[in-house]
Amino acid sequence: MFAIVDGPIDVGALISGAQWPDCGAIATFVGTTRVDKSEGMSVEYLEYEAYRPMADRKLEEIGAEIEEGWDVRHVSIVHRLGRVDPGEASVAIVVAAPRRGPAFEASRHAIERIKEIVPIWKREVWSDGYVWVGSQVGTREPASGER
Amino acid sequence: MIQVLFFGAAADRAGTRETELQVENGTTLAEIWPLLVERYPDLGPMRDTLAFAVNNEYARGEAPVSPGDEVAVLPPVSGG
Repeated sequence: MFAIVDGPIDVGALISGAQWPDCGAIATFVGTTRVDKSEGMSVEYLEYEAYRPMADRKLEEIGAEIEEGWDVRHVSIVHRLGRVDPGEASVAIVVAAPRRGPAFEASRHAIERIKEIVPIWKREVWSDGYVWVGSQVGTREPASGER
Repeated sequence: MIQVLFFGAAADRAGTRETELQVENGTTLAEIWPLLVERYPDLGPMRDTLAFAVNNEYARGEAPVSPGDEVAVLPPVSGG
């Protein structure tokens, strides 16, 4: 299942949906909002946007890459858009496979590829402005020691 | 006309999320860039960081763009 959603991700439901009798392993990766701190300022939340439907199709492409490359039986990738508060999940990847090696490797592949090819962007909203991650464009004065 | 969409930092720099451009058949993606920078000069410095899509798929400069197409200006992706 590949999905881009506007609200919280139900990670438990994704894992339940990956429990199959022919599989001995479920690998789960969950990306969450981390509060970075710098010179007295801190990240308050992250905000994501996507180019759709291209982003949806790229998630499906990653699923196809995994099916070709590893012996897995089930792949779910769900990415959240909009505001994601500290500790909340922005992305969840659940891979079920007969054996743990392919499950671990395929879930790693999924998150790395998301960061390469899926047209989704996040900005860090700090207490003193925001910055687009990867572009370093925003309203925030770069702190000394950053960049 | 073609529809041009801006995302993330590119939308910030352009000050808009979309615009329309008049193009003729046989125009390439590379030929559209100067038109965009003319309209939105702050985009100029981002050029080397950007990728482009035509009709929802990544495309290179030599890709043809025809009336009715959708072109997207894509800063470095940062999902996850």
